[in-house]
Amino acid sequence: MPNLKIDEIHRDAMQEITNVAMGQAGDKLARLLDTFVILSIPHIDIMRPSDIVMALQAVDSRDSVSGVCQGFIGGGISGEAMLLFNDTSFTDLAKLMNYDDELDQQAERELLMDATNVLFGACLNGIAEQIDVSFSFGPPLVLGQHRKFSEIFNTENAKWENALVTEINYQLENYDVNCDLLIIMTEESLDLLFKKLDYLLEA
Amino acid sequence: MRVIKTGTFSDFSYNQIKTAFRFLLYMAIPLLICDDSSMARKQVARSLPDSWDVDITYATNGYEGIEAIRAGKGEMVFLDLTMPGLDGYGVLESVKSEELKAVIIVISGDIQPEARERVKSLGALDFIKKPINKDKLQEVLLTYGLLEL
Repeated sequence: MPNLKIDEIHRDAMQEITNVAMGQAGDKLARLLDTFVILSIPHIDIMRPSDIVMALQAVDSRDSVSGVCQGFIGGGISGEAMLLFNDTSFTDLAKLMNYDDELDQQAERELLMDATNVLFGACLNGIAEQIDVSFSFGPPLVLGQHRKFSEIFNTENAKWENALVTEINYQLENYDVNCDLLIIMTEESLDLLFKKLDYLLEA
Repeated sequence: MRVIKTGTFSDFSYNQIKTAFRFLLYMAIPLLICDDSSMARKQVARSLPDSWDVDITYATNGYEGIEAIRAGKGEMVFLDLTMPGLDGYGVLESVKSEELKAVIIVISGDIQPEARERVKSLGALDFIKKPINKDKLQEVLLTYGLLEL
């Protein structure tokens, strides 16, 4: 178990602001795909890189997945967002985006980036707005396509030991589309984040 | 009080009579706040109109919420949707199928227009986007005559 801990009050507050932000992002995704997005309760905890695979709902260590990541920084808080699609999602995703051509790696990459652009921005800005900071974003990077999660996310190479991980799962009603959005905030960010949450709790 | 003719009571609905007596007896409205997040429950409680005389019960999931409504502690309910165990949709379905008396306003982060339509079709009076604040809540309460200024 990591030494770093999050107490129940801050975990609850982080879960609630995530709940609001993921709802805003989910609404954008629903509008883009013209379908209903099923929201579930976000999972928040301090994790080590090796814990992450266990926190994922949409993908399993054996599944073939595709993923994108993007760094963010602002107001003394920094980290990385990661979006992981189970590869079984792309057929339905293409259908919903009215993509008629043959679904090759390039096409899937575009679908992946479209979903990323909608979800990352809305979700991270939604969190930032509530804690009264604003995030700047690095360029989105494709972590890999059609690979196992362990190949996309090598725990040995992770630049962090402990981080606050927020796991958000999105599913589409009546479609086989399932993805996990992870927001990984660095250990160094947590003092400031908790102060911001305290302010929100007292307001 | 003057003697009322036999049968007059049947001209009034149960709720009208109760409302009349509440006014006479200054009874507080049994209000239920049902949300799994303690911060969200506090935010709702802090957003209540100052003039409102309410008797607040808190529930942390749908099962507790339904129990409280059955026990008469939720004539007015502020209900979250995403909760562990029984969610807000489940609460609305139970209230409908058991024909429980409760005025339910959903307060949720799920802002999809479809979510709003679904809760309304399940009997919710209205839907308020999270995060809640005093102004938003007052506006809705005034709209439905649940609050008088």
